Amino acid sequence: MKQGQQVHQDTPATGFIYNIQRFCIHDGPGIRTTVFFKGCPLRCAWCANPESRELKPQLMIRPTRCMRCGRCVDICPNHALYYDQDGTVRIRWSLCDQCHACVGACTSGALEVIGEAMGVPRIIHEVEKDRLFYRNSGGGVTISGGEPLFQPDFLLELLAALRLQGMHTALDTCGYCEADLLSLVLPEVDLFLFDVKHLDACKHREFTGADNRCILENLRYVAAGARTWVRVPVIPGFNDSPEDIGAIADFAREIGAEKVSLLPYHEGGLAKHAQIGSAACSLHIDVPEESAMSSLCAAVETRGITVTLRG
Amino acid sequence: MMQSADAMKGRLVIKAVRNVRKGLEEDEAGRGMYRPGIKLDLQRSRLITESYRQTEGRPMVLRRALALEHILTNMDIYIQDWEKIVGNAASSPSGLYFGIDMNWRSVMRVVNSKEGRDLLDDDGREELAGLADYWKGRSMSDIHQEVFSGEILKYWKLEGTFLWTHWAELGIPDYEKVFRVGLKGIIEQAGDKLAELDREVPRDYAAKKEFLQAVVIALKSVVAFSNRYARKAREMAIKAGEPADRQRLTTIADICSRVPENPPQTLHEALQSFFILHVLRYLEYSTVGIGVRFDKVFGPFYERDLQQQRITRDEALELLQLLWVKFHELGLIYSPTVTSIYGGAASLQAVTIGGVDELGRDVTNDMTYLVLDTAGSMQSLEPSIALRYHDRTPDSLLDKAVDLVSTGIGYPSFFNDKALLPMLGAWGVPASDARDYAVTGCVYMEIPGKNIARRVIGGISLPKCLWWALHQGMNPLNNEQWGAPTPDPRTFATLNDVIDAYLEQVRYFYHRINTIEQVSGELYEHYLPRPYYSALLEGCIDRARESRAWAYPSQVHPMCIMLGTTNVADSIAAIKKVVFDGKKLTMEDLIDALDRDFAGCDDVRRMLLNAPKYGNDDDYADDIAAEIHHRTQEVVASFTNRWGCRCRGDGSALSATYAAGAVCPATPDGRKSGESFADATLSPSQGRDTNGPTAVLKSASKIDTVRTYNHLLNQKFLPSMFEQGMRDRFLAYLRTWGDLGIAHIQFNVVERATLVDAQQHPEKYPDLIVRVAGYSAYFVDLSRGLQNSIISRTEQSF
Repeated sequence: MKQGQQVHQDTPATGFIYNIQRFCIHDGPGIRTTVFFKGCPLRCAWCANPESRELKPQLMIRPTRCMRCGRCVDICPNHALYYDQDGTVRIRWSLCDQCHACVGACTSGALEVIGEAMGVPRIIHEVEKDRLFYRNSGGGVTISGGEPLFQPDFLLELLAALRLQGMHTALDTCGYCEADLLSLVLPEVDLFLFDVKHLDACKHREFTGADNRCILENLRYVAAGARTWVRVPVIPGFNDSPEDIGAIADFAREIGAEKVSLLPYHEGGLAKHAQIGSAACSLHIDVPEESAMSSLCAAVETRGITVTLRG
Repeated sequence: MMQSADAMKGRLVIKAVRNVRKGLEEDEAGRGMYRPGIKLDLQRSRLITESYRQTEGRPMVLRRALALEHILTNMDIYIQDWEKIVGNAASSPSGLYFGIDMNWRSVMRVVNSKEGRDLLDDDGREELAGLADYWKGRSMSDIHQEVFSGEILKYWKLEGTFLWTHWAELGIPDYEKVFRVGLKGIIEQAGDKLAELDREVPRDYAAKKEFLQAVVIALKSVVAFSNRYARKAREMAIKAGEPADRQRLTTIADICSRVPENPPQTLHEALQSFFILHVLRYLEYSTVGIGVRFDKVFGPFYERDLQQQRITRDEALELLQLLWVKFHELGLIYSPTVTSIYGGAASLQAVTIGGVDELGRDVTNDMTYLVLDTAGSMQSLEPSIALRYHDRTPDSLLDKAVDLVSTGIGYPSFFNDKALLPMLGAWGVPASDARDYAVTGCVYMEIPGKNIARRVIGGISLPKCLWWALHQGMNPLNNEQWGAPTPDPRTFATLNDVIDAYLEQVRYFYHRINTIEQVSGELYEHYLPRPYYSALLEGCIDRARESRAWAYPSQVHPMCIMLGTTNVADSIAAIKKVVFDGKKLTMEDLIDALDRDFAGCDDVRRMLLNAPKYGNDDDYADDIAAEIHHRTQEVVASFTNRWGCRCRGDGSALSATYAAGAVCPATPDGRKSGESFADATLSPSQGRDTNGPTAVLKSASKIDTVRTYNHLLNQKFLPSMFEQGMRDRFLAYLRTWGDLGIAHIQFNVVERATLVDAQQHPEKYPDLIVRVAGYSAYFVDLSRGLQNSIISRTEQSF
């Protein structure tokens, strides 16, 4: 873990944020604004937001938006951009050094930088905009990612600022971090949305690239000290058996989590891999059937803990 | 025996008009202007012509009263075998009202064209031609043609920057007074006034006397009309086999012989009285969109019936459902030219519920909920339900309203007292009157019982005004100087120069539409007095003056539909971003790209599209939107109507945003020539709001209702927003809309895929209803272009 420490910054004036989305209604109670942190220690095979993994701004290219003006091809110092047979602009990722000169030249929106260094005041300014909606709905701000704990100093600074504004906060985390860090974060967060992928350590490592022991210990610690909702991405072929989900539900109940949310796998991440030049997962994952989701919900319910579908 | 809601729904007669024009072009005319089986009813035309022939040379107000009397005495009436509330403005359930005295030329064209051939048979066509002979030179439209000359005539021609129309003159009668004293009380009042005239003999004795005599003739003929229904019901009761049927008909007979002459005693009597009065509004003078504060007016009758155990809730529900079927029977023939404006509309009747009374108390009562239940069970086009929201609107009412919204029917639409009461105050409406406002048509504000001579004078295409500003008022296609000769846009040095030129064009064109309206108002006063309606308004009998000869003193009257404000705002924001701030284009580059409709300038268009857009809670665009809204209204308010009241805009877009967009060239917001404008005054351009529904509300809240006018805001949500667990968030969203003081909001709740499928397989979706503007319409009755415009509205997903 250890990766977390690499990004400790001397002056955490800014954090890398890749989206601030308003009217989020699946990320905690009420109407919320979700702040998406960039950078993640896990490499889940099903990742829906591959553009959130790296802790740095990244070029994203959407050829369908390209107007074929060619300005980007001319401006690229490394000649990474070229025309394909249709005249649409493509990129050789091996040549791209992420200088982003092309983005400034693009008027179509086909080239875009994902991730931006933002200061706390700017984030506060954004999340303040929907304060009335939070008040009327019992909502607030959710911090998600990527993995927010991957930028710990900035996260703490942001949480403190949100507390000062009287905002309800939820932290959506994969839980992969040092326990010391969680003890600092815990008192600053109103609700944890804690992701659990699998209780089996081997499977977890195989599909996420990381060990789950510290995750489960952290979850136990968090649930003992704060409101906690356990969130489970339901991935066919990985954790979609009633036994696997049921085991997670048992664990959640045992440690005192309030509820379990089942989040069915979706294919939203697939196209993005090519758009940022990362390798897509070679596994084919099916989208779970609604009927299968219903029976998984029932499996959780029989274990004596509240269950919700999608948030 | 109670009738089931399904049986009731089967009786709905669909009289929604289909688009046969897109702007000035033909649009899907082949499928007919109405659904099969709908016919043009000639009886009123025949009878008014007979009467007019007999009354030549007599005072106009008496001629109108005598014509009404002749119609009411001789028009065929019918009672269907399930009816408990009776009456119609046509002589059969499938008949369309036609005001031949207003305009016959376009209707003659319709019935002789492919889109309208089925509306009449050959005999009917021949009769119509004969009747039309009489109206040559006499109909309102003929009189207009003859009176205008010079520049007014030039700008009366349809060009596309504004459309003056004599449709949609509304106004709400003082039902509460009629229910208190009966028509007989009002006839007595007119009689007393006549006696007073004889004692005092004022200078305008004859005019006043003629008006009051006309009132008495009109009201007595209404009482006689109702008595015809009573007689018919009694005759039918004698022949009826089933005892239940005999009972139903006897009840109709009893009720129709008591009301509207006498004050109603029961809910059933009140509803029957109301419906005859309502139908008469249409029969006296062609109009659309009449409204009523339903729960406030009928709640006390319902409550008394319940207390005295005269009615059960189910029986009351059945009466309302039967009334809803009758609302559907009111349909009228539209001129083909306006079908692109009224696409999918029938007669735009509106029922207002909720809000506060004259003393500021919440009016919610059992009837409020009954209306929502009725609307939910009928799922009908008419009437549209308007819910007045305020801080004390009960949660239970809001909850019930959201149930109805979630069915996708498009109503209730929500009107915010927090925004609208201060607006009415700023327009000079006293607080107690303002608190009694009701909605008519789409989003029109009315004060029941007051002489609101308010007319929708037409619509003005604001993006077209901007386009003129970018062309010095000169049409580059034919070099005609049609707009104001504003400065050369290539010399514009600041954004203010652009805005000033735009406002100058608005001033130029508003001046012209207002001039047409001034003259028209005078003509209407001379040629179309309404003795019946005048009698139901406060003040006409006291003054012995017809309603068109004076007006309730307020800015509530003269309104013009503002089309495309958002597109102007986004255009100005794009010019600021790309030309003045970014310096990526010159004004010349920009105008060149617009004139080519962006052909070969995709990059320019993309740059314009990428500029900040209204609806994203981005002050860069929203501040400009607010400025454009406020300053445009300032220009409009610099004009006055013939009563000296300042003019104002209006947010009731109908489908005119689609119609006016069709004849507007490319605009600097990246909109291509012919594309629809944003669908309402507060709505973002379709698909340009990307920050979600809270951002849309925040943007809309920056437009000050008090500095502008009554608005319209459409939002489209997925059905999943109303599922268990999500619904509370929707309610909170709605409450926040209220807190933000936004004048209006309404919802389409439908999956995009459903609309796309319905467009491809209309036969599968005969009953799919969508919200167009201030009214709902059957999706399949809309033209493809208007369907596309609705599909392209941003779907708020999450």
